[in-house]
Amino acid sequence: MKTSKRLLALSASAMMAMSAMVPSAVMAESVAEVSPEGRTVLTFAFDEGVGTPTEEAIALFNASQDEIFVQSYHLPQDANNLHDDFVNKMVAQDTSVDIMALDVVYIAEFASAGWVADLSDLYSEEELGAYLDGTVAGATVDGKLYAAPWFTNASALFYRTDVLEDLGITEVPTTFQGWIDVYEKLDKESGIDYAFCFQAAQSEALVCNWVEFLASYGASVLDEEGKPAVNSAEAVAATQAMADFIGKYAPEGTTTYAETESQQVFQEGKALTCRTWSGTWNTFNDEAQSDVAGKVGMTVLPVNAEGDTAHSCLGGLDLVVNTYIDDAQKEAAKTFIKWMTSEEEEKNFCLSSSQPPTVKAVYQDAEVLEAIPFYTDFYSIIENGKGRPSSANYAELSDAIQRNVHAALTGETAVEDALNALYDEASALQ
Amino acid sequence: MSSDNKPTIVYKKKEVRTAWLMMAPALIVLAVIAVYPILRTFYLSFHEMNLKRPQSGFPFIGFQNYMKIFSDARAGTDILFTVKFTVTTVLLEMVIGFAAALIMNRAFKGRGIVRAAILVPWAIPTSVSAMMWKFIYNDQYGMFNDILYRFGIIKAYKAWLSTASGSFMALVITDVWKTAPYMALLILAGLQMIPGELYESAKLDGANAIQRFWNVTLPLAKRSLLVALLFRTLDAFRVFDLISVLTGGANGTESIAVYSYKQLMTFLDFGYGSALAVLIFLIVFAISVVYMIFLKGDLVSE
Amino acid sequence: MNAKRKRTVGWVAFYLFVVVFVLLLLLPFIWQFLTSVKPLKEIAEMPARWIPSKVHFDFYVNVFTKHPFARYLLNSFIVAMCSTLLSIAIGASAAYALSRLKFRGRKALLMIILSISMFPTIATLSPLYLILRNMKLLNTYAGLILPYIVFSLPFAIWLMTSFFSQLDHGYEEAAYLDGCTHFQTFTKIMLPLIRPATFSVGLLVFINCWNEYLYALTFMTKDSMRTVPVGIALFPSNYQLPWGDMAAASIVVTVPLILLVLIFQKNIVAGLTTGGVKG
Repeated sequence: MKTSKRLLALSASAMMAMSAMVPSAVMAESVAEVSPEGRTVLTFAFDEGVGTPTEEAIALFNASQDEIFVQSYHLPQDANNLHDDFVNKMVAQDTSVDIMALDVVYIAEFASAGWVADLSDLYSEEELGAYLDGTVAGATVDGKLYAAPWFTNASALFYRTDVLEDLGITEVPTTFQGWIDVYEKLDKESGIDYAFCFQAAQSEALVCNWVEFLASYGASVLDEEGKPAVNSAEAVAATQAMADFIGKYAPEGTTTYAETESQQVFQEGKALTCRTWSGTWNTFNDEAQSDVAGKVGMTVLPVNAEGDTAHSCLGGLDLVVNTYIDDAQKEAAKTFIKWMTSEEEEKNFCLSSSQPPTVKAVYQDAEVLEAIPFYTDFYSIIENGKGRPSSANYAELSDAIQRNVHAALTGETAVEDALNALYDEASALQ
Repeated sequence: MSSDNKPTIVYKKKEVRTAWLMMAPALIVLAVIAVYPILRTFYLSFHEMNLKRPQSGFPFIGFQNYMKIFSDARAGTDILFTVKFTVTTVLLEMVIGFAAALIMNRAFKGRGIVRAAILVPWAIPTSVSAMMWKFIYNDQYGMFNDILYRFGIIKAYKAWLSTASGSFMALVITDVWKTAPYMALLILAGLQMIPGELYESAKLDGANAIQRFWNVTLPLAKRSLLVALLFRTLDAFRVFDLISVLTGGANGTESIAVYSYKQLMTFLDFGYGSALAVLIFLIVFAISVVYMIFLKGDLVSE
Repeated sequence: MNAKRKRTVGWVAFYLFVVVFVLLLLLPFIWQFLTSVKPLKEIAEMPARWIPSKVHFDFYVNVFTKHPFARYLLNSFIVAMCSTLLSIAIGASAAYALSRLKFRGRKALLMIILSISMFPTIATLSPLYLILRNMKLLNTYAGLILPYIVFSLPFAIWLMTSFFSQLDHGYEEAAYLDGCTHFQTFTKIMLPLIRPATFSVGLLVFINCWNEYLYALTFMTKDSMRTVPVGIALFPSNYQLPWGDMAAASIVVTVPLILLVLIFQKNIVAGLTTGGVKG
């Protein structure tokens, strides 16, 4: 008898708790929608990876004028989470988010689904010229600009300056073989077990790494006519080299590594070089986390043969506007985006987040160069950077690359067979 | 527990009315929030609906999405993997869960602590525990390598998640670690309902511990065991979080739910993705019908 | 004497088995705990370092200062608790009707309810988002409790149906003879009988809801409304291994659950002695 009473009491209290919460939650919602001092309220969704500096930028913007008030919406850092959350909202034609920070690879997809507003009138031709060409190209679909380049990202090769010094090497190697030669000169006491570390887990990171290997061997995913060329002789050679490195010159676990895992190996002083995103510079040189702080240099990615040009993979986030919000909101959103991507704010954001800016001039700024000295060398890397193949079916293409190349790297499938299978899948997506 | 089917059942009016009244809250809640999403998924599965191609107008295409599954080798591989995963983990979990339940159903000092300890793995959010195990299997500094190395089982650290067999083993260990306690708790709840007198009289009849297990415990725990198995099978067949965090579907460990999610949320093919979701539903439904046949006479009819 | 010795040996073997079993179960958790108090650099040391050179609690401080983790805990608790209580409260009466009362369509209903819980949750994500948005329930506790009930209610109903039908019919017949209605029989006789089982069901439902990720991520978009699993997913930042913070967070998340079980231990034991056995 006691039990049933207690159960009833419990359920009654649960009901009460629920009914008490609903109005308070609804109220919280309406409070948010009442704009401070009658301003237009915008919601800006971005990932936690750049959480703090973005909050600072928003606060700065909110203080700078009295028309618009931007509030933030944090998402977990995982790029897939971000994409899926935005998709759910767009499918529901949701207007709870006005501006989204979207990974550059998804711009084409969102544009062809008709989810993001056309921003072609955001910049004049002259203004657009101030941005890195690669980032503008990545934001353009069928000749229309659908996104504003916010910050970019390029990979680079980090290496141990102390090791080169000890060996008396003054010229930094530029080829894979050059780095292997250095590695072979090392003895056990150096503590260095691997010549390279890079990322080959079945993930987007693998796509970047593979595209770069292809470029270093003079191959590419699509040929000049935009047709798949993934099983060309050069592509096979590049993939074979990648597979051969794993276990021999790179950790056996490379096929399970995303960025953090491989960076860890380098931070512990176990690798001569590490291919990763430029922003990792700070982590590598932070003594609390890294055993190699102060002994890290940065250079272009290696190539196969002397004289070839390496192309880093470009990443980064673009700002897009939800197409379902009303025109007044859209105009306000454009004002905010234009502010965020102005040269001044790009510089601020670069200093606070160490994310590479999209405005070319920032790389020459004295203050920036003092804070991030490697930008002198880095500018040429980012200028030569290439986006991943732009396609409305990018998600499918990326998935096909991930599965087939990963199978080739783990030895599950022979390299040639895997790339032929990839060719068939990529052709079917055309 | 007998299942003598009466030829004619007379439903008493009052009893029927009470029954519906008592079920009303549950039925209303489910109707409001569960029925529409499910029907919508069925509806979408008969349409060509790739969100990236809104210009197609999302036409009705009958069973074409379902036909596509048969020609899609990847779907076939994924289903086979899912079956393999389900059978392996559910069997292991049943054995370990039953053992743990028997332990906890005994009066001994420290039982409270054991019961709490057994819940620890189950209590950690799947997303967190999968991350944690990924760290444990790490090829450079993971606990798994360390222990095996210290005991001399392996000569050098291994990259467990880089091979097909290693990945499968890692998934099974993690899943069993996480959900065997769940089995134990469900079976325990059933064991607790077995009257103690039955054991006493069996003892008086001279039955030893093993005989008591076979003749008293097992038959009486059969129903809870089957129900526990049913729910575990349903969950295991739809495995998603664990795989997407631990292996991301690499090395041939893509489950059919992971693939369905990919079609839906990554490729934005809501038509084909929904068809795959319905397929999962149908397979799971078939599995539970099989369980129902075993449960019949115990549960559904009276 | 011999029998006594045999018994002692039996107990020793039993305890040995229990200790090994519990240790194996807790090993990853112990590892996690040690990780959470290690200095950052020692986390990734090789060969693995089990005992930290010095104990520090920076990761725990991070958990509560970098994120409103206390708020996440509160949100998770409210949502999981309400979902559990509602599922049990609504589910118990439905389960009773489905297992002990005779009416047409009982089997079919039971099957329909079960099949609702069989549906892959991933496919229901976007339609549920639409419904909740139209009901203005996004970012409210009710907006997460309702979807949680979709999977926990059928589960609770099924388990309790199974437990109810295990009970002897004698109890009810006696109650009917005393002039109890069906509903009175349910509340006064049957519910107390399945109490220990109900506790298990409640615990399972609670933990299921406590751990849910996908719905919580999609339906709770405000930081102040997030639950623990999503909150932890917010830990990783671009260039840092979040192992330490994650380890600390998972300890923080698990401890309340262990306490919960230890506190309710008495209820389970009480249920054992007063429940189904002696009536």
